Amino acid sequence: MDTWRRVSLFCAFVVTVMLLTGSSYAIPAFSRQYGTSCTTCHIDFPKLNDFGKAFKDAGFKFPKDDESFIKIPPVMLGAPAQKDMWPHVIFPGTIPGIPQIGLRYNQFFQYTGSSANRYSQPQLPLGSLQSPLIPNTDFEPGFFSIFMAGNFGSDIAFWVDDDLSVFGANANGSLGDGYLRFVNIGRFFKLPTDALTLRVGQFELDLPFTQARSINISPYDIYTQANFGASNQNVNNVIELADAAHGIEFSGGHQYGGYHYSLAIVDQNTSGQSASPPNVPSPTGGSSGGVGFVSDTNYKDIYANFSYRFNLEKDPASRHDIQAAGATGPRDHTYLSLGTFYYEGRSDQRFSGLTSGGAANVITAREPFYRIGGDFSFNYRTFNLFGLYMYGHDHDLLLNSTFTGFIPGAAAKFNGGFLEADYLVLPWVMTIMRWDHVQSTADFLNGAGSANYFSPVGSTRDRFTPGVQFLIHPNIKASFEYQFRPQQALTYNENGQAVNSFRTNTATGALEFVY
Amino acid sequence: MKRSLVLAALVMIVVAASQAGTISGKVSGVVGESVVYVEAPAGKTFPAPTQQPVIDQKGLMFQPHITVVQVGTTVEFLNSDSVAHNVFWPSVGGNKKLTHNLGTWPKGDKRPFKFDNPGAVPLLCNVHPEMSGYVVVSPTPYFAKTDPSGAYKIDNVPDGSYTVTAWHEGAKTKTQPVAVTGDSKADFTLSK
Repeated sequence: MDTWRRVSLFCAFVVTVMLLTGSSYAIPAFSRQYGTSCTTCHIDFPKLNDFGKAFKDAGFKFPKDDESFIKIPPVMLGAPAQKDMWPHVIFPGTIPGIPQIGLRYNQFFQYTGSSANRYSQPQLPLGSLQSPLIPNTDFEPGFFSIFMAGNFGSDIAFWVDDDLSVFGANANGSLGDGYLRFVNIGRFFKLPTDALTLRVGQFELDLPFTQARSINISPYDIYTQANFGASNQNVNNVIELADAAHGIEFSGGHQYGGYHYSLAIVDQNTSGQSASPPNVPSPTGGSSGGVGFVSDTNYKDIYANFSYRFNLEKDPASRHDIQAAGATGPRDHTYLSLGTFYYEGRSDQRFSGLTSGGAANVITAREPFYRIGGDFSFNYRTFNLFGLYMYGHDHDLLLNSTFTGFIPGAAAKFNGGFLEADYLVLPWVMTIMRWDHVQSTADFLNGAGSANYFSPVGSTRDRFTPGVQFLIHPNIKASFEYQFRPQQALTYNENGQAVNSFRTNTATGALEFVY
Repeated sequence: MKRSLVLAALVMIVVAASQAGTISGKVSGVVGESVVYVEAPAGKTFPAPTQQPVIDQKGLMFQPHITVVQVGTTVEFLNSDSVAHNVFWPSVGGNKKLTHNLGTWPKGDKRPFKFDNPGAVPLLCNVHPEMSGYVVVSPTPYFAKTDPSGAYKIDNVPDGSYTVTAWHEGAKTKTQPVAVTGDSKADFTLSK
């Protein structure tokens, strides 16, 4: 039996199993609370539809008449009339009637072309142990996440998600987001409704297109681009835009129409390390340093995002409503959204140096950096085309020859982005085409020493990723994507011809469920 | 002359009433409301009622969950929710050619539809797939919903031979012949 026939039979088997599976309901946290399906808020979870965006904006509540939709009444933490007695009593709140817990599990299977092994070339001396083989096929446990979200009354929303176990060895995972969100606090300052909301905790930055809750199996390359200087540069900045940030965020507007902004002030850590000296107790720990410190500098980074979404419905009432009124039912708006974002920080690196008088000293290179970009999203019915471009720039300071200070060097830069088209062919079939592009001179100069770079001798990384996803049920999804990368070379010979050229094309399948 | 005609009409009404019976019984094998209705005798038609029942979409639910109407009845679909809804049905009495979508309308508005074909009509909302409701369109004015125990009673059925149908959500519909002479009995056992 030839390979194609085997693959065809396997695909037919998979599709048959999908179609024959019995009925069930999607019941994560909000589904339970409101007695509604995942598709009330999601197109191909976790991607939000317009109503889901409004639900999130409102603090994980229905934007209007929330109480009338809740099937499990909240528990009162104080009678509503206690409000009249404040400040002589604790201001009353509520907690959800059941624990707002959802679970999500993901399992991967991947296939990689054998030419990927050309990437790893034999190292001298002869007979020495070499790095392991890159296998053609591999099963990969993805993640098992617990997420909790809801509302405590008084428009205070909460979210916590955590990877319980990853890598298949019962290893601890890590906290994703964990925050409180004080919705519409602008009302205390007589601002327009929803003009000002405060979020405090650990969170994914308000990126134009989320990485943490993306439908794609693989991340956007530009979001995971750090900026390391070349050998003649001093830049060593590990910050990636997809990283979770710790701090506070002010935001306002709506993501389903009109303006939306956010301004975050977050911890700075560009070294990837944090201080936990035994002689300096942290505010939250004991004399040994407790949980230590997140920041590696006194500087706080700033992230700002502004976008405006033009809903393009002809009917004014439909244009301003959360969802458009289609001829056969409500649907997402036809819209064009334009946005821009900016991240500014400062990378501090400490060196042992000398004072001008020749005494031992710690000298600090303070290298400002920024990321700036723009984005767009166009949606027509179930077709969504969106993209993002970003430019990264790190100032570079080099130690002077006497080790007493720094002199300006060549800035480390990168740019790139992605373009993605999502088309929901059927309510349960999503097709995806994506192009990722990163151009970085540091990638080129750093060679293979830098992690996550597939282009040791090329300064540009491109990736084309077609994908298809099937909702077996509203809470169970099978995803497939093929990551196609143009052929690259490890080295070039004296005639400019590629030597040991390789591809790292990868086919990945994922099966995930939430409940 | 006029007085004689009125008298004759009254006599006919009394006679007709005296010949109308009931069909009662129990639907078992299922839990929850069922619907029992009398199929139309061949060639017999009935005037459409003028009443227009309302089915509300409230709290992400169709309320009532099951509505029984006679053929020719106009049903009004109300949206009382502050979220967008729609109503569509994939079939009427299993006939997929009779699928229909009523579109979208805002809170407080109603949208009417006249049901001219008999059978069960599963009501769905395309943005809230968990929403479920039914209009059961009876070909005659002789129908009833069961109580929680499954008991039903259909009044004012003229004497004669009929086919009676029992319907339950998710169960196989059953029919059986019933001869009505006064009070008649018809029990059904339905299964999924």
